[in-house]
Amino acid sequence: MSALRLSHFQALLLFALLVSIALGVLSRRAPKEQVKYAARSLFWFLIIGIGIGWLMYPFSR
Amino acid sequence: MNDEIPAGHPAEARSSAAVYDDKRAAILAAAAWLVPGLGHAILRMWIRALACLLCVGALVLLGAGMRGNLFTWQNADAFSRLGFVADAGSGVFYWVARSVENAGPDVSRADGDYGTRLLAAAGVLNLLAALHVYEAARGRKA
Repeated sequence: MSALRLSHFQALLLFALLVSIALGVLSRRAPKEQVKYAARSLFWFLIIGIGIGWLMYPFSR
Repeated sequence: MNDEIPAGHPAEARSSAAVYDDKRAAILAAAAWLVPGLGHAILRMWIRALACLLCVGALVLLGAGMRGNLFTWQNADAFSRLGFVADAGSGVFYWVARSVENAGPDVSRADGDYGTRLLAAAGVLNLLAALHVYEAARGRKA
């Protein structure tokens, strides 16, 4: 099987999405609360991931 | 004074779900570890069962597809053994990942490195789900 090729952002997005859904479903009871928690978690995963990426940018070359 | 039990309170969980003894709850947790989603399905928590199965399955398939490093118990150092514990947390999906990744890992590229993290995250999430099943079966969580 040939290796799956994803960009850094695609990998981050898929990871954040799947982990956020699982955390939301496991940590909250009401469906509405689960969706809210997953959305908030996804948002912070992306913001912090991209933020850390930019912080490391000066050291990458 | 309002006598209603607030949403999310442990007492509410006890009133709505069957409470199992310690041994049965541990068996349920083991089932949840072995087959992601099975423990929640037995407790009739269908959405959680489906979400666990799909999220853990997708993370494992993506990680293996990206040729992430799947650790084995034979690794010499402690960190690799810790990696094995995380990977093995995904239960039967550990062997699914082994069969998908027949060409072996390739961590010389960023994809392979990300794949390693995805495989470990799948295992850790499934262990969290198994712990949730144990707590729910004991009536402490719903």
